[in-house]
Amino acid sequence: MYTIISKIELEGTDNLSYSDYGTTTDPEIVNQINEDFDSTFGVFLGENRTKIELGIVSVSTFFESTPFVYEARTEVDNIDGLNLINVTELNQL
Amino acid sequence: MGVAIKGNVVNANPTPGNSFYQFTHNQNTGADGLIVIQLTMSNARTYTGCTYGGVSMTQLYTINRSGLAQRMAFFYLENPPTGNNTLRINFNGSQWNPISIHSRSFTGSGGIGNNANTGGSATPNTQPINFSADSFVMATACSINAISTIQIPQGSNRTFASHNTNRQVGTGAISVGTGAVAGSYDVRTTATFGNLTNDRVEILGLSAPVDDTGGDFFLLM
Repeated sequence: MYTIISKIELEGTDNLSYSDYGTTTDPEIVNQINEDFDSTFGVFLGENRTKIELGIVSVSTFFESTPFVYEARTEVDNIDGLNLINVTELNQL
Repeated sequence: MGVAIKGNVVNANPTPGNSFYQFTHNQNTGADGLIVIQLTMSNARTYTGCTYGGVSMTQLYTINRSGLAQRMAFFYLENPPTGNNTLRINFNGSQWNPISIHSRSFTGSGGIGNNANTGGSATPNTQPINFSADSFVMATACSINAISTIQIPQGSNRTFASHNTNRQVGTGAISVGTGAVAGSYDVRTTATFGNLTNDRVEILGLSAPVDDTGGDFFLLM
């Protein structure tokens, strides 16, 4: 299986947009990306999910200091035609 | 009769943060194609439909599992466009909880057969499904606790993707072919402890071809 590395950015003021950045088959890269996600945006979502749903907090507040985050939680068995870069080192992100 | 051919798979566990989520799925080339998608997410939102390559998919079921605060669904599309196309899931508002997604392609399929859904019940949750000859059976499970096994049939562990939707989800389990004879068997889902669900769907093979070896025929020119 290949793991798709998604780039997550703010769309408008209150929504997220996902784009495919690259692929990897390295589980250490997958783990590191997801640990980084969980310790940053994941924490923000955990603390503010209900407030975001109620419109009390805007997700844009997170992206004021961080333009985008990566996540690696999509697995596929075929990447033909996707034209994504093969990420073999974290510094490619 | 002929069993369908298993094709490409996508497993994803994102937080949509929007009123839709979309990704690319590659439908295999071949006659009698079928694409299916199993979904689980917080019941704070509902599914308002799925499209593949811009074509609306058919909803087999959507179930509010209120005890788990989750909404589970299954959509499919027969004869979908082939190659890389966008699979889009629409919600009735922005979904800020993670969603469990499993999509799978088939070719040589006769479509969707029987399905059965069983809500939270103590582990092991063992439930029957009737099937036609040359079918596959897919299953998914959700629990507060980690999903340990999905057996199709009971006693035969199948691989599955483990997702976290603020509940624990096992998705994408599929049997080997059921064999040439129609019948019934049990699907068993287990969790580390507590209750879990058991949802199962039959993927049909192709029907027997029309017997054209006997009788009288006229050749029309």
